[in-house]
Amino acid sequence: MEDKLLEFIREEFLEDPDQEIDIDTKLISSGLIDSFSLVSLQSYIEQEFGKRIPAPRITAESFDSIRQMVEIIKQF
Amino acid sequence: MITLEYFGILVASLALYWCFQNSRLRVLSLSLCSLLFIWLLEPMSVVVVIGLSLYTYAFGWLIHRHPNESVFHGVGVLGILLVLILFKYLGMLSGISEAVYLFLEELPNFSLHQLFLPLGISYLTFKHISYLTDIKWRMISPGRFDDFILYSSFFTIFLAGPIERYERFSPQLRNVAKMDIKDWQEGSRRIAVGIFKKLVISNWLAYFLTPVWENPNSYSSLQALAALFAYAFMIYFDFSAYSDIAIGSSRLFGIRIMENFDRPYLAGNISQFWRKWHISLSDWIRDYLFFPLSRLNRRKFWSIFLVPVISMALCGLWHDADSRYLLWGIWHGLGLSAFQVYLQIKRKARPQAKKRLNYFMNRFGMPLTIFFVFFGWLSFRAYGFRLAVRIFMDPWALILIPFTFILLVFLQDLFRKFSDILSKIHWRFEYTVYTLILVLISHCAVYTGFIYAGF
Repeated sequence: MEDKLLEFIREEFLEDPDQEIDIDTKLISSGLIDSFSLVSLQSYIEQEFGKRIPAPRITAESFDSIRQMVEIIKQF
Repeated sequence: MITLEYFGILVASLALYWCFQNSRLRVLSLSLCSLLFIWLLEPMSVVVVIGLSLYTYAFGWLIHRHPNESVFHGVGVLGILLVLILFKYLGMLSGISEAVYLFLEELPNFSLHQLFLPLGISYLTFKHISYLTDIKWRMISPGRFDDFILYSSFFTIFLAGPIERYERFSPQLRNVAKMDIKDWQEGSRRIAVGIFKKLVISNWLAYFLTPVWENPNSYSSLQALAALFAYAFMIYFDFSAYSDIAIGSSRLFGIRIMENFDRPYLAGNISQFWRKWHISLSDWIRDYLFFPLSRLNRRKFWSIFLVPVISMALCGLWHDADSRYLLWGIWHGLGLSAFQVYLQIKRKARPQAKKRLNYFMNRFGMPLTIFFVFFGWLSFRAYGFRLAVRIFMDPWALILIPFTFILLVFLQDLFRKFSDILSKIHWRFEYTVYTLILVLISHCAVYTGFIYAGF
């Protein structure tokens, strides 16, 4: 799950696809991903993992890194 | 909010709340005090709060228990929206129906009359919609009715927010075991800061700027521009003061309410501004409007242009049924769209061009955002159009506006350079600052109502 999310985020949202990110990189609070991109990420998670994450869970506090995303996805 | 009723109820409810050891009795006493506060201000509003809470709570259980959750959610939300329309937007609908009648006289004319406006109705309905939607999304369960009635009526946040979520609010009602001195220190500090912001800064700014807004032709374009900037700070200090008092008062009960502001005028772009300004409302719009609307259609024109404009237009109308707020919302929606277009361009740009764009945004992002937001305030307040004409129709504007922009760039650099030193000074002289605040409140206070309590 981590690898798939890493690949999707790197390809879809990063300005520089060679930019180094890992599962603990802050993505929302650092400004790497904005609200518009989060909608695409929400749809991707729904299609790929069959889990619909409610918007209030997709925040800088609870959904900032890939590690946090995986934790949230597992809750639903 | 800075009234005898408010602080009287605050003291009485604190005494009752901390008298009880049992959390249910605490919740019950606080609910009764909150309803009493609303009754003191507007007796009929208590009926609306209790009636709407019963309705929403019943639908909460239906959504939670029934397999057709989407149907019950839809009906429940529709009912809440109808209440909002009935009380808040009937006047606007009446205007539209009369305009249609004047245009096509053959049509039967029907008259709609504005009912009374229950206090805090915009905040209450948004809280209830988030409650039902969070139940549908399986984020929360309906909980107990006494918790829900307190969530609906909690007097510190009832009149003008923050629009707290039930998910964060209700667990705190069970966790508070005993009084914590840190809560009292922080709560009192926030209340003092809030009173200072309102009575000293905001009200004095209002005192000086109001004549310029009401009669801009009697003043120079420089004074008109200064009045616009003063208004931007006045509305910030006014509303953040309310939030400070609300958050501080709640903290005295051991209840932490979400922050509503995070230095919004230091935002580097318009998207960041909306993560720092009226955070509880912008989060609500993002979660319950922007995300669901964006998912309806994958086309870029829809998601980049229409969704921000529709979301922000509704955000504008939420303030009041007035074209001024609608225009203000559309202005911000267009700003968010433009920023998305910028990001799309940057994403596809070559490395050299990307570097230039990043430099541009880093250097000019904050002043540009300030200009965008401040000029947006022209449509937020009455007489804004006259002030805009005074500023822009003067030949001096060609010099004045670029000069102000350069000044902002300079101030931004200065702020970045000294921000560390400023933060250290703040902490070192904390108690001196608070003493000074109290002295200023006692000597320089000017009394007027809060702007956002009118919404």
